[in-house]
Order: sequence, then C-alpha cells, then structure tokens
Amino acid sequence: MAYPGRSGPRPAPPPSAPQECAIKAASPPKGAPAGAVTDVAVELRGITKRFPGVVANHDIDITVRRGTVHALVGENGAGKSTLMKILYGMQRPDEGTIAIDGETVELHSPADAISRGVGMVHQHFMLADNFTVLENVVLGAEKLHGIAGRARARIKEISDAYGLGVRPDVLVEDLGVADRQRVEILKVLYRGARTLILDEPTAVLVPQEVDALFDNLRELKSEGLTVLFISHKLGEVLSVADDITVIRRGTTVASVVPSETNPRQLAELMVGSELPSPETRESTVTDTDLLVVDALRLTATDVDGVERAVLDDIDFAIRKGEVLGIAGVEGNGQAELVEAIMGMRDPDAGTITLDGADISHAPTRKRREDGIGYIPEDRHRHGLLLEAPLWENRILGHVTEEPNSRAGLLNPAAARRDTERIVAEYDVRTPGIEVTAASLSGGNQQKLIVGREMSHHPKLLIAAHPTRGVDVGAQAQIWDQIRAARRDGLAVLLISADLDELIGLSDTLRVMYRGRLVADADPATITPEELGSAMTGAASGHLEGPADDGTGAATGTGAGAATGTGAATGAATGAGTEAGTATGGEGR
Amino acid sequence: MRRVSTIAVAGIATAALAFSVTACGSSSEEGSKDAGIGLAYDVGGRGDHSFNDSAAKGYDKALKDFDVKGKELTAKDGDTDADRYDKLASLAEAGYNPVVGVGYAWTPSLTKAAKKYKDTDFAIVDSVVDAKNVASLVSAEHEGSYLAGVAAGLKTKSDKVGFIGGTDSALIKKFAGGFQQGLKDTNPKASLDVQWVQVGSPKGFGMPDRGKDIAEGMLSNKVDVIFSAAGGSGAGAIEATAGKKGTWSIGVDGDQYYDKGLAQYKKAILTSMVKTVDGSVYDFIKSVVKDKKPESGVQSYDLKRGGVSLSYSGGFINDIKPKIEAAKKKIIDGQIKVQDTYKD
Amino acid sequence: MKKLDKERVLLAVAAPVLALAAAFVVTALVLLATGKEPFNAFGIMFDYGVKADSQVYILNKATTYYLAGLAVAIGFRMNLFNIGVDGQYRLAAFFAAVVGGALKLPGLVQIPLILLVGMLVGAMWASIAGLLKVYRGVSEVISTIMLNSLSGIVISYLLVDGRLADLDKQTNIVATDPLPSSSHFFTIPAGGDLDPIWGFIVVAALAGAGFWFLLGRTRFGFDLRAVGRSESAAQASGVNVKRMVLTSMLLSGAMAGLIGMPTLLNDTHQFTSDFPTGIGFTGIAIALLGRNNPVGIGLAAVLWGFLERGANRLEFEDYDKEIVGVMQGVIVLCVVIAYELVRRYGLKRQQQRVGAELAAQAKADKGTDKQEVPA
Repeated sequence: MAYPGRSGPRPAPPPSAPQECAIKAASPPKGAPAGAVTDVAVELRGITKRFPGVVANHDIDITVRRGTVHALVGENGAGKSTLMKILYGMQRPDEGTIAIDGETVELHSPADAISRGVGMVHQHFMLADNFTVLENVVLGAEKLHGIAGRARARIKEISDAYGLGVRPDVLVEDLGVADRQRVEILKVLYRGARTLILDEPTAVLVPQEVDALFDNLRELKSEGLTVLFISHKLGEVLSVADDITVIRRGTTVASVVPSETNPRQLAELMVGSELPSPETRESTVTDTDLLVVDALRLTATDVDGVERAVLDDIDFAIRKGEVLGIAGVEGNGQAELVEAIMGMRDPDAGTITLDGADISHAPTRKRREDGIGYIPEDRHRHGLLLEAPLWENRILGHVTEEPNSRAGLLNPAAARRDTERIVAEYDVRTPGIEVTAASLSGGNQQKLIVGREMSHHPKLLIAAHPTRGVDVGAQAQIWDQIRAARRDGLAVLLISADLDELIGLSDTLRVMYRGRLVADADPATITPEELGSAMTGAASGHLEGPADDGTGAATGTGAGAATGTGAATGAATGAGTEAGTATGGEGR
Repeated sequence: MRRVSTIAVAGIATAALAFSVTACGSSSEEGSKDAGIGLAYDVGGRGDHSFNDSAAKGYDKALKDFDVKGKELTAKDGDTDADRYDKLASLAEAGYNPVVGVGYAWTPSLTKAAKKYKDTDFAIVDSVVDAKNVASLVSAEHEGSYLAGVAAGLKTKSDKVGFIGGTDSALIKKFAGGFQQGLKDTNPKASLDVQWVQVGSPKGFGMPDRGKDIAEGMLSNKVDVIFSAAGGSGAGAIEATAGKKGTWSIGVDGDQYYDKGLAQYKKAILTSMVKTVDGSVYDFIKSVVKDKKPESGVQSYDLKRGGVSLSYSGGFINDIKPKIEAAKKKIIDGQIKVQDTYKD
Repeated sequence: MKKLDKERVLLAVAAPVLALAAAFVVTALVLLATGKEPFNAFGIMFDYGVKADSQVYILNKATTYYLAGLAVAIGFRMNLFNIGVDGQYRLAAFFAAVVGGALKLPGLVQIPLILLVGMLVGAMWASIAGLLKVYRGVSEVISTIMLNSLSGIVISYLLVDGRLADLDKQTNIVATDPLPSSSHFFTIPAGGDLDPIWGFIVVAALAGAGFWFLLGRTRFGFDLRAVGRSESAAQASGVNVKRMVLTSMLLSGAMAGLIGMPTLLNDTHQFTSDFPTGIGFTGIAIALLGRNNPVGIGLAAVLWGFLERGANRLEFEDYDKEIVGVMQGVIVLCVVIAYELVRRYGLKRQQQRVGAELAAQAKADKGTDKQEVPA
C-alpha cells in the first residue's frame, strides 16, 4: 500500500523548499506582473462557511485584480465550488466579507450578484435545447433589451467584441458542447457581468476546444473584464491564468503567479505533501488472454422508437497484466460496453470470454464471482447504497463472497472488520464505518469502492472514470492500486475522459466513436491532442505519434495482437519519464 | 392481579406499552340496569335511507311512545365478531335493555352476548338466534316480492321485466326469488332480467348513479317494469323510469310513493313491497318496555302477520287488486309455496 | 463513534414520540372544534384500553395486524407497493377455509395444510401483479388495486349456496363448511371469565422473527434491501432485479395469506360473507408506523388495537366514533412526516460531524504546516 494507515493525524509534510515558503503568503505577491490594471475587482476576506458533507470553508482570503484571469485551484472537495457559490450569492458565508469593486456587499441571491456585475457559467449548462440562442439569452432578461431586434443587435455586438462567434438564430440543440459554453458566457455578459466565474469550464471540452476557450478568455481580459476560473487541471491553469490561488481543505494556502511556479509545485500545494515520483514503468503484459470480446453487437431502441446499434462489431482482447484504455467522447458507447461486459445488458450478437469461459449471457453475479471487479462510472447510481452504512456498502456486489457471508448467511461481524481494514488501508477518511456512504465526500466514496473491489482480488477490473471527482492524493493512490494489481496479473479495462490518465496508465489504447472502435494508439507516443481529434471522428486506424526517438520502443510484447489491426504498435512499455511526467506532473 | 400476570406472560408485545404495567385487573364491565334501549346498527348506520333507517324509525317511535332513553351504536367496515360483541356487551353492561342487533351480521356476536347476559332481552333482525332471551325478527321478503311479481306480470306490456339487486347476498336473492316466481306464475311469457349493482359488496346499496345506469340499460332493452331491492341505488332506477313514458318502478322496504325525496317521480312508482322492520322493532321494544312480556323465539313477519305487504298508494294497481289479493290468500293458506332464493 | 450511536438511538426514539405527541395535539384540536373536551376522551380511551379484557382484545387484534404489517413491509423494504394485501388475504382465507372445511384430518396435519393453502393462494394472487410488473411493466400499485376488486368478485361468485358454501336459511348467513374442531388453533387462557388469547400470536411472533432473520441476516435479504435502496446499484451488484420483484411479491403474498388465519383458526372457524375486510389497508398504515421493522410493526399493531378498542368506547360515550379514525390517520401522517424530518436531520447531522472531524484534522495539519514554515 502506498499510504497505509492514514486514518490518524496525517504525517507531517516533508521539509518544504525555500521557494514554497516564499509563496505561502495568503495575499498576492507584491511584485505583480506589470501591465495589468491594478485595482481590485473582487476581494474575499476571512470567508468561513460551515456546510454539511464537505470540508468547511474557513478563513479564505482572495484578492482578484481587475482585468485578469484568476485561477482557483484545489482538490475536489477542497471547497472551491462552495466558495464560488458564496461569491455568486447562492450561499451566505457564516463569517467574512465580500467586497466588489472596493465596496463591501451582502449577496442574498444570484440576482444580487448579477446586479453587482458578477456572473457565473455553471459546469452543467442551463440552456433550453429547443430554444434558439437568442431566446436562451434573453430568457429571464427580457427587460434589458427586449426580445427582438435590439436584443439581437446587442448579442451580435457582444459576440463580435469578444470573438465568441455566436449565431443568435440557431437552435441550441444543434450546437456542440463548446458552442453551448460560449452561449452561456454570452448569456452572462448580456446581463452586464464584468466579473465572470467559470466552474470547471474545460471538463467537458476536448483539447482543441480548450485552446479556443482560452483565446476567448484572453479576449475578455483584454477588454477589461475579470475572469475567475475554477479548475484542477494544472497545465491549463498555468497557461491561461495571471494569478493562482490554491485552496486546500477549505482554506487558501497560497497565492502564486504562473511564472514563478510549475505544475509539480502547484500539485504539492494542493495536496499538502510531496507527490509520489512517477515510477518507471515496466511492461507486465503477458501472453495470456484474459478477456476476449468478439464481434460484440448491442442495439437499443431510442426515444423515437428506432432501433439503433449502440455497440457495433466490437473486437478486443485484454491479456493478464495489461491495461487497455478506451478513449472517446462520452456517449459513444463506452457505458454500454461496460454494461455488456458486466452482464447488465444482454448483447444481441458476439461473445465475451473471460479466462476461457464464455460469459456472453451469464448473470452479473456469476461474472462478479468469477473475478470481475467493477468501478462504475456513476458511483451513486451503480456503486453505492447511499443511505446504507459503509460496512453494508462493503458487502454490496460481493454478498456471496467471503468474508461477507457464508452458506447463504451474512456475516456482519466479519464484514465490519474487513470494512475497518479497507478504511485504514485505502485511507478512507471517515469517523467510522457506521456512517452512511452519503456523508462521505466523493473521493472517499471512490476509495471505498476501489478498496472493496480490490479486496476480492479480481482477474479483470473494469474501471470507468476511476478518478473522476477524486482529489490528487486519492488519484495517485488509485493509480498505484491499479498498477500494483496489474503487476500481479490483473487485466484492466480502463475508460476515462481524462486523456492524461488514459495515456499514463494504459498499455494499449483504443478509440471509441459512435459505438465502434475506430482507432488504436500507442500510449508511449500519442499526445492528448492526437487522441482528441480521433475522439471526434477526425482520425481513424492506427494513430502514429510524433517522430519516435525510439527509446524503450519495440520490446516485442506490444499491443499488436490486442488491437487486432496487425500493426506492431509495440512500445507498451517504456512510456518512461515522458508519460510519467504527464500523469504525475500535470496530476490533478 | 393474577389475571394480569397471566396476560403479561402471554402478551409478547404489550409489555412494551406502559399500559400493561398500570393495568389493575379490573374488567371493563360495569354499569346499572334499565338505562334504556340499546340499538346496534349494521354498517351504514342511521341515515342509509334503507334498512337501518327503517329500524331507526321503529326505535324513534318507541322512544317517544314509552318515554325512555336509548343508545345507538354502529358497526363499521372491517369489524370482526369480537368488535361487534364488544358493542353489544357494552350496551348490556351499561344496563340497556332491550338490545337490538339490526342485520344478520350480528348473529355470532349476539349469540355470544345473549349467552353471557342472560338477564338482558335481545332481538336480532333478519336472522335467527336460538336462545331464550332472544327474539329473532325475520321477514318473509320472498312472499311480499311474490306479490310484486304478480303486479309486474300483469302490468308489463312488453313482457320484459327487470330486477335490480343492491348486491348478490342471500337476503337480496330472497327478494329476487319471490319476484321471479310471482312473475312466472302470472305471466309465463314474461322474461326477467336480473342485475346486481355491486357483486360481493354492500356498497351497491348506496350508488344511485349506477342504479340509474342499469335501469336505463334495461329500459332500452324494452323492459317496462323494474323492481329494485337496492336501498339508495333504487332511487336512480325510479328516476330512470320516471323519465320514460309507460314504464314503471316498484319500490322497496318503505312505501316509496310517500318518500319525500322521490316526490317528483312518484307517478312512476307502480307500487312498493313494504317490509316493516320499523314495525317489528317497535313491537319487540313494546313487548319488553311496556308489556313486560318480552318476545322470544322466531317472530316471523310474513304476509299473514302483515310484516310484508304490497302498497296501493297512487292507485296504479287498483285495477288488478283482486288478482293480487287472490295470490296473497293462496300464500297465506299455504297453497303457494314461495321459493326463498333466486336461481338463474 | 460511540456518541454518534447514542445520538442515533435518541433520534430513533424521538421520531415516534414526537409523532404521537403531535397526533394527540391535532386530535385534541379536532375534538375541541367539535365542541368536546379532549382530555376526557383520552382518559376514557386509556382507562378502557388498560382493562384486562381490553388487553386480550388488543393482543388478538394486534396478531392479525402484525401479520398484515409484515406482509406490506416485505414489499416496502424493496420499494414495492403491494396495495393488494387486502385481496390476497381474503382470497387466501377463503380457500383455506374451503379446504379446511372439506377435510377431517388430525389437527397436526390439517392446521399446517390450511396455513399452506392460505400462503400458496396469497402468493399466487400476488404473483399475478409481480408477473405483470416484470414482463409488462405494469405498476404493481395499479394491478394490485384491481386485483383487490377481482378477489372480491371471485369470492362472491364462489361463496354461494351450492358452490363452495352453504346458506343458513334461518340466519341468512352464507358460509363455508366449518372447520372440524381438530383444526381449531390452541388458545392461551387469560384467566377468569376473560376470552382466551389466540394461540396464533405465537405464529405471528415466529413470522416476525423470520422476517428479521431473512432480511437482516441472509444474502437474499441483503439483495432485497439493496434493491429497495437503489435498484440500479443492486443490479450492478449482481442482483437479478426482475426475479427479486417476483420473489418478494410472492413472499409478501404468502405472508398476506397468513393474515386471515388467526381469525379463521382461532375465532370464526369458517369464512362468511362478513369476514373482516380492509385489514390489508390497515397493514399499510402499520408498516409505515413501524418503519418496516419487525419490532416497530409489533408496537404499531398493538397501538392500533389499543386505538380501536378505545374507539369502541368513545362511541359508547357519545363521542363521534370517527374521531379515532381521524386520530389514526393523523398518527400515520405525523409519523411519516416525523420520520422523514428526523431522517433528514440525522443525515445532515452525520454529514456535519464527518465534515467537522475532517476539518479539525485539516486544521491540525495546517497548524503543523505553519509551524514548519519558518524552518
């Protein structure tokens, strides 16, 4: 175990670098970059919010300069979103003051915030699909510029001023994700916002779209607007932000400027301890096929009553000790693939073979007993009984196995003991095992699930977005768990929207697009950008990375057999320091 | 205290409620004699415009005539025999005498109560309880209904006659059986359409809308005389026949020609099969309270005793009176044996 | 952790106590509105309810109600609303009475046979709704309500002189053949001239223990509860949800088949047209009141019996007998509301505690961080 027994007081962090001491001050550094406007748009002082379930915000101090992009980074559950909700008037702080444009204000509602020029773009868009862009923008703000000619003119004006490229008369349902996001931004600007809060805006975007978004943000900044940008993707933060505030466990721990820091340092500030150094990976891939999926086809009837193939002609094999990563924009059949392998959906054609046994139509329980571990994409829907205590959640999915039961009878005492063990070994932060799963934060819920699944020594682990919504510390730990089990011969099917995770963890990569596996790639050479374009259907077949310098390639145990394309992709190993840096350094 | 401890041993869950601890061994039975008249209605109680109300009428008259007090209790849906017994026992314990159970559903509980309270005079309506201190007040509904069948057989022009029963219980089938026989004996060509408002549920006695629907269905099939033994649902049938010229209804229980609620339809009420529950209840109370010679055993309120009869109100059947009286005589003499249940 | 537990016990007790208190206040207001003095009414109910013969009555009533509560609770535990318990128990009692009346075997054979017939009929009738739900997606609420009506019609078709019943011409009562006296269930004498306590209370207690064991201690019970808490999570965990729907419907129906048995074996010994109705619906209220917990259901059943006993007396004391119906309704409402409030409060408390403990941990960490800064 990487972090055994971290339930007591956490070990003191390793001695800090002198540089870190210098930036530890919780106010902006004096020598701020020249050229920016110096007056302050938003100032938060001593914000404290006691809130059930998540770590409370306490003693938060942030100063946001006008005309800058200010990034707020921190682990999931560190309190970023709560803080932004406070600033947007959705929640009231218990203590502390908010000043906007130098004036102390009390925000009782989002309407208050908007009237002060603060607007928010939510992570989940709030647009009516069957309305046009114009209608969506004026909805609820009809008094500003009417609903017709003047409104259209104003939208056009804003769109041109900031280079948003919004077309007012298109139906929202015809827009892609990135376009919708721009509509959301425009909506906020239309209402007169001078300070924009963007909550994890890049989570839903592919790399190319992220770049376009950042161009928009720079445009906004140059027009004198202020952007507060919430993220845990450090690479992005460093490329776009002027100032960065780090939040850890509910409080501000540092304010830094990008030029004086690097991803690794930022990550350490977020986690509060030194990150584990990226390990040099050796291939653990063996020659034994563990899971073979052959010509799998699954159809579903959509809302219009039309039968449609959601999985079509899926072929792949995962060998013992191999991690097969599936890349793809969500909704292209990944969830269905997982459910077909788990037995939650019955395939229309094709076979699934686990360790030599045909399990194409076997019940889910049989598959689990036969050694499939499952980290579901939506842990609330598929992984937990939220209102049940932790020890009952430890039984879930493994009720027929030791130590949970024997001869049809539950063994609550043993299950409780084993839950205590999981809580200790997997660093699930909880006051006890009798609390309900719902009272844990997302990361701790996920650690419990990983601990549970790993405790039954699966042959195959299906990991769907295993580190989504999980903080950096837990993320690295979960990766370690997967790597460790892989060394022992575990086969892993990894599905993730996090391209760095996919590239860093996988031995073989496949790209899924509209229910088909359209491309394969070598994680040693592929870049997130290339993978991103394949995910949008722009590229297919075998994806070649940039000129390979050859180091560590062609060990002969390549993924050729698995991909089925016949191409000797090789180099499943030796991602070496490159990939390691990608995962560790840009670690979220 | 001994009793309580036995209970405490046996009663698994009672201990959890504090009251078992505070129980003081006394039974709930107490009270003095001669508190007045006790009347226990069947489900529906006073105000059902039917059977219970009929008993209430006799009870009210007795209260006035003999200047006594009384208490009325009502059974409710879901009551078990234990609940019913509890009601009768409460009345007897509190000294009410006589105690009347209205409806055959009181049979088991009243049997038990009569055994325990030997000094109390009981009566049961529409059933028979074999005990010295119980009067069983039964009516010969089938005999009265036979006469209604005679009237219907003579008055129908289409030779199609209808019967609407509130529910398919044994009691209502008594009405249907007598009616059927009277009709066939008088007019062999006539056909009889029998329908129940509700099957297996006493709710059928309180659904006038449904009664009207059924009656209208019959009328559209050329039925021109309808006998409803369906409590409140019968009013709907009467309304339906009033809306179509040349069709008749036959009322039930009371003389419905004089029913204020039906005044606007009375021209459609050919006759009524009058069953005097009020009379039988009144007679019984009188025998106890005034005459001090309580009735006992089966008190059969048949044609002979005048417990059932056919009314001539409105004069619509005056023309056939001789034939009806002839049939009545034959029944009383025993020349006609009326069937007491209906068979398809 | 100890403290959390103590708090949870406190919360668990607080809910029903609060609910009862609120119900009494509301009922008192209703009584006041009708111009009656409320405390006198409560006094009458209490005085009457604690008397020895009332205790016997309450226990006997509670026996039936307890089984009804269990039958409903099995469904509730997996989010299945078996509204059809009413029809199931009536049909089951009817056929059990027919079979019992037709045979003359030794009691040791015949009584279990009668119980078995009851449970089988109940289960089969419930399975119709289960099958419709699993294969046709018909809501069990709708189908069981319809099946309630249907069972009434089936009974009234068969409960006719010459079919499966006989008419007593004197009493007008249509009934199945009475059970032979060998099939009468044993009773527990309550002493004096009191009615005995029905021996079926033992069967009911065993059923409760079985319910607890099945749900709390077996794999099957865990699966069932998992489906109740989250169908999707249960499915992902390997539970065959469709089969679980059918199985629990069968179990619920089999339990419903027992509801009529105390009345049949200990009291009436035959099925008549006025066999008690509506107990299935009472069972819903009792399961809600007892929070689907075998002990809670027992307390609720006893409380219900107590209230009905009191109701009989209130009517006698010239109170409107409907007042107890109002009180029962208000209690159920208050309990449902109180439990939901307490549940939410408890969850919030727990989250706060978890949050607070982690925050305290964080603060301690931060303290160490800060100390180290000057180093």
